[in-house]
Amino acid sequence: MSEKVLLVDDEKDFLDIMSERMEARGMTVKTATSADQALKMLENESFDAIVMDFKMPGMDGIQALKNIKSEKPELQIILLTGYATVEKTVEAMKIGATDLLEKPADLEELAAKIKQAKAEKMLLVKKQTEEKIKDILKRFGG
Amino acid sequence: MSPDSDSMNEIRFFGTLAAAMTHDMKNFLAIVNENAGLLADLAVRAQHQTIPVDPLKAETISRKIGKQVARADTLMKQFNRFAHSMDREKEWVDLEEAVDLVSRLAERILRQHRICLTVIPAPVPCRIHGFRFALLHLIYRAFEILTRHQTRELPDTEQEITVRFGTDPKIPEICFIRDSGPAFEPHTLFRSPEDQALLARGHMTNKPMDSGEGFCLRALSPVNE
Repeated sequence: MSEKVLLVDDEKDFLDIMSERMEARGMTVKTATSADQALKMLENESFDAIVMDFKMPGMDGIQALKNIKSEKPELQIILLTGYATVEKTVEAMKIGATDLLEKPADLEELAAKIKQAKAEKMLLVKKQTEEKIKDILKRFGG
Repeated sequence: MSPDSDSMNEIRFFGTLAAAMTHDMKNFLAIVNENAGLLADLAVRAQHQTIPVDPLKAETISRKIGKQVARADTLMKQFNRFAHSMDREKEWVDLEEAVDLVSRLAERILRQHRICLTVIPAPVPCRIHGFRFALLHLIYRAFEILTRHQTRELPDTEQEITVRFGTDPKIPEICFIRDSGPAFEPHTLFRSPEDQALLARGHMTNKPMDSGEGFCLRALSPVNE
């Protein structure tokens, strides 16, 4: 099954070309030009991975990452940045980013990280489901 | 005000604009990189699946790369002009051009603060004999004050800021007006030792508007060309 990805960046030219190349690799890609728009899309839709620019007008990548993780902790977010310093990477990972890649990114590397993110999300969802079942069984004495 | 803190302030200003510029450059390179990648994808398909490369597609890709190169070239020219603003200690500076340069270099920063800038063309020549770099710094500082004088939370909608110029060529003036938000308190504007030193270097003074909706930067003494 193909990976469903939400691509978030304020550069429309970047979104267009990235989604074209990702779709050519079998991924299903939706795009958003701001973190606010991405958050709205996440209310109604689920994605295997979110690939998001670190710096955007209005709400930046870090703030968006915090908001998404507090609502949907199972979501896997890969951040793209102009300059991936160690400090920035540590900050992003602490808040729960799956990975951080430097622009211009290598698409094959990004595709591999998206595949990995999907697998991790599936594991997390499985774990969440098991915990819910355990909780129900405990409450109802099964 | 020690010379060290003056220099630090100037280096910080240069660094802020350099960081914004390099961020934009990385974005342009990322788009060029993806277009080059798409060409490589098409070449692989042509080689392995004998699907010929569509000439129209190749032309579109070439045009897209050209567009990013032109954007990068414009940005580099603007940054080069900025870097050369330190060359002469005194020269004639067109304040309208100076506002244009700073607003272009700080475009990303302004967008991040959801600022929408409107610059009304100067009705009369607005030139001052001074240190170009200090004047650019002063204009940027004015933008900074406007963006930091918002509430802590970023507004949901864009904030309109208008820049207009004075009508007396002998006393050049740039006014910065915000359409909404709390009124500016005159005693808080350009009062820090760093801001005072910056005003002195630019031979300008700050004049808050009575309505509290903004402030003007005005030449300290009449201009004689």
